[in-house]
Amino acid sequence: MVPGVVFAQQKKKASEEDFVKEKPAVGDPFPDLVVYDPKGQEVKTSSLRGHYTVLTFGCLT
Amino acid sequence: MFFIYKSLAHPELAGNYVQPFTLDERLAHARQAEKQLGATVPWLVDAMDNRLKHALGDRANSEFIVDPKGIIVRKRAWSHPAEVRTDLEKLVGPVENITREEDVKLKLELPIKSAAARGVVPRLKRSEQMQAIVIVPKIDPKGPSFFAKLRAETDPDLFRDGAGKLYLGFHLDPLHEAHWNNLTKPLSFKLEVPEGVKIGKLSFESPPVMAPSDSDPREFLVDVENWPEGKSIRLSVIYYACVGKETCHTVKQEYEIHLERDRDAGKARGEGAGFWDAEGFARQNLARDKNGDGKLNKAEVQGLIVPHFESFDKNQDGLLDFEELKPVSDWLNHHHQPGTALSTPK
Repeated sequence: MVPGVVFAQQKKKASEEDFVKEKPAVGDPFPDLVVYDPKGQEVKTSSLRGHYTVLTFGCLT
Repeated sequence: MFFIYKSLAHPELAGNYVQPFTLDERLAHARQAEKQLGATVPWLVDAMDNRLKHALGDRANSEFIVDPKGIIVRKRAWSHPAEVRTDLEKLVGPVENITREEDVKLKLELPIKSAAARGVVPRLKRSEQMQAIVIVPKIDPKGPSFFAKLRAETDPDLFRDGAGKLYLGFHLDPLHEAHWNNLTKPLSFKLEVPEGVKIGKLSFESPPVMAPSDSDPREFLVDVENWPEGKSIRLSVIYYACVGKETCHTVKQEYEIHLERDRDAGKARGEGAGFWDAEGFARQNLARDKNGDGKLNKAEVQGLIVPHFESFDKNQDGLLDFEELKPVSDWLNHHHQPGTALSTPK
């Protein structure tokens, strides 16, 4: 095993497990907030109800 | 499905983008991201108070599936297309025709090109340990755009001991397509500090640049002592920015700088702020090794590596080991250079 990997794995796993357990967790309502579409129109997250919705945070930078 | 556009995870990377100051600027970022990625997936843009990011746990990468009643039914710390597919098959049912990566035909575009040459003014190399602190720009709706945007970072000593380095960098915002006008006075700024704060000097001026224009940041490192929490430093800056060949602006702007970590400012990456190093990158990624074999299979890798997995798998064993992961950092660093295409790694 490469030195440092075990520690990094444990730290990462703990951080990711904590995140999944934190509120809002599975079974909680998705937060009801106002955000925007790219043209600046307000979008209520509650308006996404009625379908299964996948929301993904990522980074292009 | 929606992509969420939030504050930048790695400002200065992938096109030298910087954190926006206004919602209009963030919306312009989102439209640029839409254009660069070329995906048909719609975007939602977080508000400037970062309410969605905060409400959902502040991670750079994460993924949620919400059922028709608005209840979270899946939550993971990293987005993972293969797992989303499996989840949706369980929740909604299998589909007849599976959309493959190659079916999507992403129309990837390059980041916005800098308005003038970069690499003219040497970058100030700052420590990897530096953390962004809160800055509050004084926004005048009738005033000029923030063509250049301040980023402030401190080393951990400043939080711990009240004495340390303060990084102040003025980065041109690519969205405003401006460049420095070096034929006139260079950027200068003044600081007003709370009583008792010790600072080397209060007035600063960027050294003159021989080239008539450029797009490199103007960066300063300042020694600060006895900066109490809750007291802000005021900064007033003046600079000359040009858009195109004809339109030049004299810009005076002000900021408050707070000794408070800004958890929405991201970790700057790139020249000056530090690229990924090969061994550290490989080590960090091997932390995703779920089955403990010391290597990553395709299901264990994430992000930009996924579509290029086979190219990095030199011995074609279906696994990426430490030595195979090291070159990925070079490729990512290169890939993130402005003006380089999203090409398949060699």
